Amino acid sequence: MGIVAGGILTLAVLAYIFWPDRNPFVQRAKTRADYLIERRDAVYENLRDLNFEYKAGKYPEEDYTTQRASLEDEAARILAELDTISR
Amino acid sequence: MNPQNIQAVAHPMPEFGSFCLLLALVLSVYTLVAGSLSLWQIAKSRAGRIAPEKLLETARRAGIGSFIAVVGAAVALVWAAFTNDFSVDYIRQHTNIALHPAYKFSALWSGQEGSLLLWAFLLTGYGFVLRVRHRVDVRLSAYASTILAGVQVFFLLLLNFAAPPFSIFQGAMPKDGNGLNPLLQYPEMVIHPPMLYLGYVGFSVPFAFALGALMMRYPGEKWIAITRRWTMVTWLFLTCGICLGMHWAYAVLGWGGYWGWDPVENASFLPWLTGTAFLHSVMMQEKRGMMKVWNVWLIFITFMLTVLGTLLTRSGIVSSVHAFAQSSIGSWFTTFLVITAVVCLFTFILQKDHLKSENRLESIVSRESSFLFNNLVLLAACFTVLWGTLFPVLSEFVQGSKVTMGAPFFNRVAVPIGLFLLFLTGVGPLLAWRSTSLKSIRRNFVLPCIAIIGAAVILMGFGVRPWKSAEAAGEIYSLLAFSLGAGVITAIAAEFLRGAGVVRTQTHKNLFASMLLLVRRNTRRYGGYIVHFGIVVLFIGLAGAAFNQSKELEMGFGDSVEVGGYKLVCQSYTQDSNPNYDTDYALLDVTRHGKKVMQLAPERRFYNASQTTSTIVAIHSTPLNDLYVVFEGRNPDTGKPILKFFLNPLVSWIWVGVAFVILGTLVALVPAIRPALASQRVRADEPALQEAVR
Repeated sequence: MGIVAGGILTLAVLAYIFWPDRNPFVQRAKTRADYLIERRDAVYENLRDLNFEYKAGKYPEEDYTTQRASLEDEAARILAELDTISR
Repeated sequence: MNPQNIQAVAHPMPEFGSFCLLLALVLSVYTLVAGSLSLWQIAKSRAGRIAPEKLLETARRAGIGSFIAVVGAAVALVWAAFTNDFSVDYIRQHTNIALHPAYKFSALWSGQEGSLLLWAFLLTGYGFVLRVRHRVDVRLSAYASTILAGVQVFFLLLLNFAAPPFSIFQGAMPKDGNGLNPLLQYPEMVIHPPMLYLGYVGFSVPFAFALGALMMRYPGEKWIAITRRWTMVTWLFLTCGICLGMHWAYAVLGWGGYWGWDPVENASFLPWLTGTAFLHSVMMQEKRGMMKVWNVWLIFITFMLTVLGTLLTRSGIVSSVHAFAQSSIGSWFTTFLVITAVVCLFTFILQKDHLKSENRLESIVSRESSFLFNNLVLLAACFTVLWGTLFPVLSEFVQGSKVTMGAPFFNRVAVPIGLFLLFLTGVGPLLAWRSTSLKSIRRNFVLPCIAIIGAAVILMGFGVRPWKSAEAAGEIYSLLAFSLGAGVITAIAAEFLRGAGVVRTQTHKNLFASMLLLVRRNTRRYGGYIVHFGIVVLFIGLAGAAFNQSKELEMGFGDSVEVGGYKLVCQSYTQDSNPNYDTDYALLDVTRHGKKVMQLAPERRFYNASQTTSTIVAIHSTPLNDLYVVFEGRNPDTGKPILKFFLNPLVSWIWVGVAFVILGTLVALVPAIRPALASQRVRADEPALQEAVR
């Protein structure tokens, strides 16, 4: 009885595994542009955090200006590369 | 079922269970082999007779099928427990007819075979979720699924060949089973092991993603975002599991404490330490593209520590009140650990050029360096605990005699490390990314420093003076913990208030509504602060241990004792009986300042099936202290009952702290909302970058 139940379960599982999939989900390979967009979003997130913390009074003006400039440089480099790729 | 006739009839459920385990093994092997083959074909752009994408899809479905098969096996074992099928040797050894149904369910993990089945069940369950949600990133999920299948194969090999849970009992059929270990017959034991295992097993998923990402040279850090919730949920389960274990030890073992640096406690603590380090350091990889090698190894080590933890718990290598099984599966686990380490090392050597950091540490006074220190301290704690846990095994191997490291060794090292971590908990969020100027430090550290000094002065005023006597010297750590705790809470409160102030300016809402909106906008950060707050509260609870008091005495009817302002009078001793166990109770009236507070009834139970005794502690808990009474038994000479009394200050703070840790983690798991649709209000002439970072 136990073996019979196991056999039925096996057949059901095999049918599920090898049932033809008419619309297989295909994923294209990740490109450099995809990667740069992720990096750009991360830098924007860092800028948002910096702005927020500055508004909250955590950093003095000089620290904020230096950090913001550094992050904007990083964003600009990424945007420039993205621009080159998309041309 | 008539037990006498069991041998004469077939065993359909054990047969079904065994069949399911074999089917799960075959399906897992298929997932591993077909997955590996198709991923190799895709990586090398080679096509076989079957398209690799189609083969990969069958591997994914076989992985899902393996979960269904393991569910079948788990149901068969639970069914056998509930129907008192003592033909199954495991059920005979770990249950009895009179056992409460809840504990029959927990018999699933009370022995070695069952707990391995629980491991396999949870592992395939996590795998099921991963495989169903594969569209998050099909290729990366396929790598993770295949690696997870490798882990599944190991556990299913164990279950099929080394520790089968459905072995049929040979010999005359007993009328009743041996019963469940009395220490496990406690409500928390129904949820503590599954929680702990959900934590242990869950780390397999971020491990599989990390190893997969390294194997496929995954571009970018998105795999961290994909696994973030997995890691946090797993960490939460492990935290809950550890804390439930602490509470169980406190309420059942009757030694007055909650953490004894027992090897099995340590085994659960080790992956928690590295997992906590990983949760912090991945933020540096996400934000700044740093510490990639570090992070990959942290999660590799965390996974290996979970396997080591299971090995210590289940193999009998170390002796512990928490280890409920002893066997020879140690060699299997050791082999698996070695294979895992070799695979990780080989993959790392092959792909290490992929893990180059995009940025460097710019200043020692920065958020990055605080994360780095946090990681180093957590790893130092991990190494210390690992060394102390394995030292008896190593000493026996080298010298032939077992040298055990006791609680004083662990406390001497772990307490200063813990205090330094507490300090970093407060400092880290106050520092800026990249570098922090002196002006910024002055601005952010003034209030917390005032709080630290103020708390220290107040505590000294209340009599916490470690220098007053040699016995009070240990209070220095408590004084530091309370003072640092005050500083950290001030820093966290300042973060909330400053943030709420900004939101209030933007939205013109009241302070409370602004704070709620602030948390919803950045659930991860503010959830993290709530977790930190919980950790501080927990530390305050732990620091209370420096002021514990205890007394032990024989008590007859009408005898009384005073413990820390409480007066306890013995009213009577009584007995009770049920089919599972007999109980001796002591009934004690508790008064304070002449007013009756309550009646405590510590118990001592005698379990009929296993012929063993255990205690159930009576606890009167208040925010200031716990009055904790243990019925230790009777003096064999006088026949008088012996009771032990403890007054444990601030213990309830530990459980409240844990509740905050859970709350904070849950908040951090909730997706954040974007701030006030600012992008829709932006002017046409405003630069795009300005809009994006608003």
